[in-house]
Amino acid sequence: MSYIEGLKCRECKRGYPIKPVHVCEFCFGPLEVVYDYEGIKKNLTRAKIEGRPKTMWRYRELLPLDSDPTVGRNVGFTPLIKADRLAEVLGVKELYLKNDAVNHPTLSFKDRVVSVAVSKAKEFGFEVISCASTGNLANSVSALAAEGGLESFIFVPHDLEKGKILGTLIYGTNLIGITGSYDEVNRLCSEIAENYRWAFVNINLRPFYAEGSKTFGYEIAEQMGWRVPRHVIVPMAGGSLITKIWKGFKELELLGLLDGVESSIYGAQASGSNPIVAAFKEGIDWIKPQRPKTIAKSLAIGNPADGFYALKTIRESGGAAEDVSDEEIVEAMKLLARTEGIFTETAGGVTVGVTKKLIDQGIIPRDESILISITGNGLKTQEAVQDRVGRPQIIEAKFSEFEKIVTPKQKIHREVQLQATI
Amino acid sequence: MEIRVRIPTPLKKLAGEKDIVLANGNTVGEVIQWLTETYPGLHERLKDEKGEVRRFINIYLNDEDIRFNKNLETPVKDGDQISIIPAIAGGSSKKRRVTLTFPPERIQEPVIHNIGHRFKIITNIRSANVTENVGWVTLEIDGEEGEYLKALDYLKGIGVKVEPVEKDVIV
Repeated sequence: MSYIEGLKCRECKRGYPIKPVHVCEFCFGPLEVVYDYEGIKKNLTRAKIEGRPKTMWRYRELLPLDSDPTVGRNVGFTPLIKADRLAEVLGVKELYLKNDAVNHPTLSFKDRVVSVAVSKAKEFGFEVISCASTGNLANSVSALAAEGGLESFIFVPHDLEKGKILGTLIYGTNLIGITGSYDEVNRLCSEIAENYRWAFVNINLRPFYAEGSKTFGYEIAEQMGWRVPRHVIVPMAGGSLITKIWKGFKELELLGLLDGVESSIYGAQASGSNPIVAAFKEGIDWIKPQRPKTIAKSLAIGNPADGFYALKTIRESGGAAEDVSDEEIVEAMKLLARTEGIFTETAGGVTVGVTKKLIDQGIIPRDESILISITGNGLKTQEAVQDRVGRPQIIEAKFSEFEKIVTPKQKIHREVQLQATI
Repeated sequence: MEIRVRIPTPLKKLAGEKDIVLANGNTVGEVIQWLTETYPGLHERLKDEKGEVRRFINIYLNDEDIRFNKNLETPVKDGDQISIIPAIAGGSSKKRRVTLTFPPERIQEPVIHNIGHRFKIITNIRSANVTENVGWVTLEIDGEEGEYLKALDYLKGIGVKVEPVEKDVIV
């Protein structure tokens, strides 16, 4: 049973039937899915959701498919972690992490959007699936296309991290590296989308695709016991995720599943690619495109498609936007790993780093609940930290050799304490 | 003052079926104003109720997004090119594809070589069919907007029919 009624332009509100289109013919604004919230409200309860399998599909009434998903049926419901050790370092009382670094199957939040998009593409009868990507999306589209038995074409900037290239090729896709920035890749893909009957998950299927991100927000609310954190920090690339987390919270409120949404949403970017943060700080509601240069390649979008709406979300919710340098990103990745045992990619370094900065600046108070979004896995961006984590100590397989490298402090657990050091 | 304004395909019929309109103004904003006054049908498509240029329309001056410059205040000069581009499409492409149909008297001439020689453009033949009486070539043309347009004018001047291949040459 589907509760989707159609598509609607976010700008001029003109309606469109459900089909693979993403731009309003009249004003060129983006299209968005319209749901029958009245119908959903009658049928969906907390108990009903809680009784379902622990995947993102437990919120299926709020996702734009006509029938059950055909790929990615195990995506989502990733851990929500109370991060006490990191909280102590940051000097805050109540800190949580939503950890999509272990999302199934490709270890980033993108599996949420792609499982919706690929299932929708199959409903529309597409045989080829495609995307413009900074890496995580490439991994997810190629994997879920393989699961669905669809051919895939993936377009990425040619200089991506090795892990993201390998983690795409393994699924048997057509991977095309473009000698240019993500924004140029995206531009090329728009041109291809005009000429090929392919499903581009983030172009002609964008209205459907983007809805998958809402489940990140639903899960936060449910896992916190049907309430929302007072402060939520979200990474921004194209700016879609931040708007959808907010939309997810507001939908739950509208459906009576949350008793009010008192939450401020904060946008995090790298200083080398901060068009949305810059617009926030300047107090303007339009984006000056940039030419990104940062190690946070998954966030390196200089002309964010949803930048305007990301700014709107931040301002409407009473949040803020901040950026961190590449140096701060690496330090934050190490901090998270060393306090919570979570190895996140550069984007997670951005959210942790920005959270620290906002707390230090007094913008996020220390005594209220805070949630940091972790959207990707560190094993995919090893280049960012490989020279920054030290090296293993190599020794011969001799006890005496081992004893030479153990520091006096590490010797406190030695069974027989020696009188003198060796 | 003569500014060339490229009209995106979905709006062409509101601009007298023209791909390119020759417009006037001292700034990008003035050119857009001139355009919406000259072709009133364009007004509601380019501007919202408050009279501001719609949020999802991007404007490029000589292939540079005007947001990198002074936005609508960006000054324009004689011979400049303005492109109006739906934002979601992602920007302006420098490669264009056109089909050239040659009149019989031009079939023997090295027309493609000539345009590559006379103008700063790179041509790449994508498909072609040339016989004794008719000839057509689908060409990809890479290069600065101004040179591309000069090449098209030259082709038209010698009797070659020029048609864009895709729905639009700009995406």
